[in-house]
Amino acid sequence: MSNSVIKGTGYVLVHVPGMVMDHGTTQTTEKIVNPNSDYLKEIGSHMRSYEQVVNYAPNQTYIGNMSIEALTQLGQPWYEEGKEVKGERYGKFGEIMPEAEFLLLMQACDAFDLVRLEKGFVEAHKAELAADPVITEEIMALVKDGVDQSEIDHFVNDEHAESMTYEGKLVGYVKRAHDVDTNLSAHVMFENLVAKASGVLSILHLLRESGIDPLDVEYVVDCCEEACGDMNQRGGGNFAKAEAEIAGLKNATGSDARGFCAGPSHAMVEAAALVKSGAYKNVVVVGGGCTAKLGMNGKDHVKKGLPVLEDVLGGFAILVSENDGVNPEINLEVLGRHTVGTSSAPQGVIQALVMDPLQANGMSLMDVDKFSPELQNPDVLKPAGAGDVTEANNKMIAALGVKLGMIPKTEMKTFMEQHGLTGYAPTQGHIPSGVPYLGFARQSILEGTTKNAMIIGKGSLFLGRMTNLFDGVSFLVQKNTGKEEAVVGAAKTVTIGLAAEGTELGEENLKQAVALAAKKGVKVVIMEGGHAEMEAKLASGEIDGAVAAHYPFPIGVSTVGRVVTPAYGKEMFIANTTGTSDTDRVAAMVKNTVAGIIAAKACGVENPTVGIANVDGAKATEKYLKKLAEGGYKVNFTESSRADGGAVMRGNDLLKGTPDIMVMDSLTGNLMMKMFGAYTTGGSYEASGFGYGPGLGEGFNNLVLIVSRASGAPVIANACAYAAELINNGWNKIAAKEYAAANKAGLAEIVAEIKAANVKAAPAAGAAKVVAPAKETVTFGILGIEVMDIEDAATALWAEGIYAESGMGCTGPVVLVSDANGAKATEILKAKGFIS
Amino acid sequence: MDLENQKRVLEFSEQYGQENVVVLLGAAEGEAASLAAETVTLGDPTFAGPLAGVSLGLTVYHVVEPEVKEEFNADVYDEQCGMMEMVLDVDDICSEMNAIREQL
Repeated sequence: MSNSVIKGTGYVLVHVPGMVMDHGTTQTTEKIVNPNSDYLKEIGSHMRSYEQVVNYAPNQTYIGNMSIEALTQLGQPWYEEGKEVKGERYGKFGEIMPEAEFLLLMQACDAFDLVRLEKGFVEAHKAELAADPVITEEIMALVKDGVDQSEIDHFVNDEHAESMTYEGKLVGYVKRAHDVDTNLSAHVMFENLVAKASGVLSILHLLRESGIDPLDVEYVVDCCEEACGDMNQRGGGNFAKAEAEIAGLKNATGSDARGFCAGPSHAMVEAAALVKSGAYKNVVVVGGGCTAKLGMNGKDHVKKGLPVLEDVLGGFAILVSENDGVNPEINLEVLGRHTVGTSSAPQGVIQALVMDPLQANGMSLMDVDKFSPELQNPDVLKPAGAGDVTEANNKMIAALGVKLGMIPKTEMKTFMEQHGLTGYAPTQGHIPSGVPYLGFARQSILEGTTKNAMIIGKGSLFLGRMTNLFDGVSFLVQKNTGKEEAVVGAAKTVTIGLAAEGTELGEENLKQAVALAAKKGVKVVIMEGGHAEMEAKLASGEIDGAVAAHYPFPIGVSTVGRVVTPAYGKEMFIANTTGTSDTDRVAAMVKNTVAGIIAAKACGVENPTVGIANVDGAKATEKYLKKLAEGGYKVNFTESSRADGGAVMRGNDLLKGTPDIMVMDSLTGNLMMKMFGAYTTGGSYEASGFGYGPGLGEGFNNLVLIVSRASGAPVIANACAYAAELINNGWNKIAAKEYAAANKAGLAEIVAEIKAANVKAAPAAGAAKVVAPAKETVTFGILGIEVMDIEDAATALWAEGIYAESGMGCTGPVVLVSDANGAKATEILKAKGFIS
Repeated sequence: MDLENQKRVLEFSEQYGQENVVVLLGAAEGEAASLAAETVTLGDPTFAGPLAGVSLGLTVYHVVEPEVKEEFNADVYDEQCGMMEMVLDVDDICSEMNAIREQL
């Protein structure tokens, strides 16, 4: 099975000096234990401005603007004067958001009316948040108008609410979500909303960076370090789904994974396994930031005259997707685990996480280009006596390599320089743990400058007081080894039945078609017994699909044609070309779109683009399709090649094949097929294209493709190949999946809405309900009835005691009755004015 | 030193007697080892935890000091600490530890 790939990354920082003071545990503890301490008096003068935070080199590295190499060359410590860089708010991977905008984002992420901000504050900063390119209109619509200062003062002073401050001024509150439940206290709600909002911001940047359609994300794994739930389920969850909701991931669900600082690496392995197993195609791993750790080492920083460097929240999001043959793969063969039985001594940990997986795969330390262990910014931890954590990890890996004879002792330093990284991530617990490097790793592996990297996550479980065990997992990210071939066992020899009775081009034409199809690797058998033989052999499985010169599909089923457009020779699907998917024109075009998407996907077009031909009802169709898309069914609209754009296509777009799927009513589609197939021949011989295509409709499981009586041998052969392609790609599974998705997004309700809008007159009062007579075999077709009247015509025959079915023949609507009733039924329909 | 650890050290010394408790450190840096050693001998220099103003005078060593290393089976020591011996600045840790012990 194919490895999953890393398709995109998002990394964000949020500058929150107000939260450092009000919510960092070092500061809040000091306020209780030692309220008049010098530290509390001094810390205010050690806070950095937003500009200083943006111009701080490690922060620019975190959001992708400054390479790790450039940061290393700049030389530590980076807080020193003269080491500032010319920073930008936005970077390749994300951004550094200012505090005011983040407070508004927190409010937008609050679903329970717990957050309120002051009127003037909202007015002053709303436009700033709206200007952020990743913040959508939907998110801005969640920002509420502000309240009076007196309300904020009241909740903070008298109602146990947590304060939201900006530039030293109280500008908002987060109130408790329950009067006695400590798990829903204002403090917990504040922390959780911060984690949620910074997680959302990370996902939004991931969407921008990867370009993935939000509707394509199927699953989210959150790995932050908070817990949400009430007193009956303290860590019930689910941050992942809450974040997906705000980020617009309508088709996703998710769950939370926890493992202290190792959480992100665990989550990455889980996501990779979910994708590799085929359970989901696109999984997002996300981790938001943590207020408690803000200013954690503030005392040491203040004591040493440094700025309080832990003044930013961190967040990240990674997209793990099915193998696209391009992006770096996650190799789950090289998987390190610290197990229950593993020693917790550093040596045991490095052996288990680094050496064991490499040795199990016959690899040496030298086979891995980069090791990415904990990437804490040394500026933060060195002054606190914790040293350079990243360097210590590099050293441990090298030292164990020496012990195991993988590298000579004299080469330790060189090994560390070449295979190690420099730390730069904010000390937010889980945030620095291996994963910050994935953005650069993806980039350098894509560029070919790095071939692989090992991501190592470690966690100290004793903090939870459940176990003294240490923990960690590691995995290898490597250059894509090329898309795996389709599973060979699935492709069997396909046999197609050809029922072309009534062809105007003669037997020889059919024989040529069979020979041409054989050259394409498709076995074709001519159905001498016509439709009856074809249906019997489809039912018995003797043939896998059929191509027929005409076939009366039931209402609800219509065909998707496939043509070669003349301008650039690009293939295009015409949805639809024969049959009637619905008796209402607009409803039919909406259903044709779904049929078109099925046909295109079943021919290997991964994310087909859709355009609507500029025919009567096009605008209405566009409106209802957008509604379907809003409901969660993905319609990938294209833009017209004409200057004024839009999803409604013009004549040029037909000739150029602008969309993959051109949606129209099936009568227009039928004309188009003739034009595209025969414009070089004058009309009596269709020379190019793939014919009128398969009949598609919900629950219709026979594969019958239509050609016309004027289809030439090349078109018939192509139709047979089109059929084989659909079979090999599992068209019926794709159809079932698409119809299920469309129905989930409200297709039936939309069709009902279209019809309700179209009701011109109420049915005659007192009209008796007509009951169908006993069913019998219907083989006699009556043609010439208007498509809009087709169901009424069948009902009229029922009223006369004649069993009838409505359908669509290749020359138009048809009512089918038994041979015995043929003449009588024709008379009745004539008498009632259905036919002339 | 972590407040919770200070509490545990205090409890152990009360339970078993100060003369029966040896504190073995594994800190990664000389400065951090020195702070921890000071806490369990002279008292918490940060005046934040249960050992603030409490001079327990406990016997304290870092695991990489030669006096401690001699006590171990050489193979076990190599397996558990051999790598970290290469990683840590052993000389610095030893001199910081000696400096604290000299104050007792």
